[in-house]
Amino acid sequence: MALETALETGYGFWDPLVWILAVAIAAAVAYLIWRAGEEGYKRGTAQTEAFLSGNVQPEKGAIHVRAGNLYWGFLEALAQYYRRTVPVHTGVLNDYVLWFLGITALIIVIIGLMP
Amino acid sequence: MKSLRSFKKSLWVYHFNSGSCNGCEIEIVAAITPRYDPERFGIRLVGSPRHADVMLVTGPVTRKMEPRLRRVYAQMPDPKMVVVVGVCGSSGSPFYESYNLVGPVDQVIPVDVYVPGCPPRPEGILYGVVKAVEKLEQLEGKA
Repeated sequence: MALETALETGYGFWDPLVWILAVAIAAAVAYLIWRAGEEGYKRGTAQTEAFLSGNVQPEKGAIHVRAGNLYWGFLEALAQYYRRTVPVHTGVLNDYVLWFLGITALIIVIIGLMP
Repeated sequence: MKSLRSFKKSLWVYHFNSGSCNGCEIEIVAAITPRYDPERFGIRLVGSPRHADVMLVTGPVTRKMEPRLRRVYAQMPDPKMVVVVGVCGSSGSPFYESYNLVGPVDQVIPVDVYVPGCPPRPEGILYGVVKAVEKLEQLEGKA
């Protein structure tokens, strides 16, 4: 019985043997490129640090763009709002319950006053 | 020059100015012009010490440049050679007793070849680089 490996999908075919061959070729090319690299570097020494014209390499966190940096414009636009609301977030549960009760009472009063 | 049996790669050179007046730099630039064309032997200047086999150092070492010279030298892969170009880096020359100098280059990092002159001629610089190749050959041969 002939070994059937190709899967006809209607949009082409998927053959695991072709993929294994492609991965093997890619791995061989990657290995050849890696082997042609510089062998003289010693791990854990200055030889593996980034070259910044002789200056000290800063901490990674000091030079990388953090996720929070993406919200800079948003935080800047709502600075007035955050200046008042951030101090309110005390982290004390009692404060949050009091806020909840106060806001609920306010809503009930407003609804009660509505005609 | 002996045959390049051990050091098979092209020789890449990084230039470091530790406080030079730029006289030696002009001669280094002259040394890489088509008149001498060291690139036909694979000898070329590179922009990073991490790619270099040889470091050309020009000028006496000023206090500001000392930690940078140490750091750049440490970033070069092994085996590495240091060629001092010019008499300032070799001895301090007229700036020998300056308050702002750490000293000649060999008081900061190990030096393999000295090319004297103020500034040295391109032929002298190339001869110094060839001497560095010979020394690299010996190191590679022993390894």
